[in-house]
Amino acid sequence: MSNIIIGIGDLGASKGQDDILKTFALGSCVAVILLDPKQRAAGMVHIALPEAKINPAKAQERPGYFADTGIPALLREMKKLGCQPNARGLMVKLAGGAKVMDPNDTFNIGKRNILAAKKALWAFGLGPVAEDVGGNFSRTVAISLATGDVILSSPGRPNWKL
Amino acid sequence: MATQDKREDILRAAEKAPLLSPSAQRLLQITSAREHELMEIVAVVKCDAHLTVRVLKIVNSAAFGLLYPISSIDRAVSYLGERMVVGIALNDCAAHLFDKQLDGYESERGSLWRHDLQAAIASREVAQRARVEINPDLAFTAGLLHDLGKALISDYLRGTCAGLLAEIEQNQVADYLEGERHLIGIDHTEAGSALARNWKLAEVLQMAIAHHHNPGAAPPEHRPLVYAVHLGDIIAMMGGCGTGADTLRYPLDQGYGAFFDLGGEDLAAIMLDVQEEFAKIDTSLAETKEN
Ligand SMILES: [Fe+2]
Ligand SMILES: [Fe+2]
Repeated sequence: MSNIIIGIGDLGASKGQDDILKTFALGSCVAVILLDPKQRAAGMVHIALPEAKINPAKAQERPGYFADTGIPALLREMKKLGCQPNARGLMVKLAGGAKVMDPNDTFNIGKRNILAAKKALWAFGLGPVAEDVGGNFSRTVAISLATGDVILSSPGRPNWKL
Repeated sequence: MATQDKREDILRAAEKAPLLSPSAQRLLQITSAREHELMEIVAVVKCDAHLTVRVLKIVNSAAFGLLYPISSIDRAVSYLGERMVVGIALNDCAAHLFDKQLDGYESERGSLWRHDLQAAIASREVAQRARVEINPDLAFTAGLLHDLGKALISDYLRGTCAGLLAEIEQNQVADYLEGERHLIGIDHTEAGSALARNWKLAEVLQMAIAHHHNPGAAPPEHRPLVYAVHLGDIIAMMGGCGTGADTLRYPLDQGYGAFFDLGGEDLAAIMLDVQEEFAKIDTSLAETKEN
């Protein structure tokens, strides 16, 4: 079994049946998870911010940093593995986008990340079949290629399945 | 142990905690003063052989990617900036606190230092965007120190995370800080303040530690800097750099609007800068740590 760690602004895809794709402590970041049950492939991008226009140079270097560049980049990776980059081939799940306790939502980058991710997915005719987003806690995501299970964890609570 | 005993135990531990190294103390004194010069910092580093080696190693680490190595302390200090020198000195002499595994928060080893460092970088970024004048390097130092109280109380909080989180969800306690007080009679800001008094830190640093979760209660002259640390702390938690179960379980104080204009775009820009700077400093420190 090998763990493929996806850092902030990174993306990865795999068909290795022993692999686990993992991303740690999402905070306000969002993980977009793509699963292809036919090809037995999975991919994930750890998005930090909604739009690349804030720093196009960074988007060039690390497209995964932004929702609007990260999702097309992840779909390209999935395509390389033989996946159909559309709703017939792929199942989408979303996790993350947490926020601090703030009734006025002024600091809610997480919500903007989720909206931007959904918008970028829609451009490809994709939408999430499951999501675990928002709230005041940070999530860690592990995708098992062997089972296709997406397991979420957070300190102080038992793990759960998405 | 009764709640009151835990509180007294913790306060005693804060009073008995080892003092900072003479160099770190001196550096904090110099950099907390309104007027000071880089040469004063250089002088402190030059008198401390261990610190000299650390500073030179770090400035020449691959993470900084210098074309030509720097061999003079003067140039190393001016390249790294006073905040990094303070950070290196604190990281060395308070390692027993920064590196403590916070079992009481169910967090991984190293997460307290990483959180404090990321909050420090974010506090400085925020301070630079204030409408009023805030010393950004001092905001960085305050950010580094803000959560040290967790190292003192963590062991007393073992096994409490799930219960405390449930109480917050059911609105039985307002936030993690109140939860800490219910459980052990003291929260991490008060424990940190006791440590800061023992270390005789400058008043502004003591205030930042005491009030980083309720900056509106800080004395008016220190309030802008305390708000910078309050926001820096939240930005670090949003960036995925918390200290475990308490991550994001504190309220944002809207009073920051009196000192900062932070729209969504500003916040995004700050978060991006913070991540880049954090990656650089974190790698340079890790690369040069002697085992
Ligand atoms: Fe705190
Ligand atoms: Fe904190």
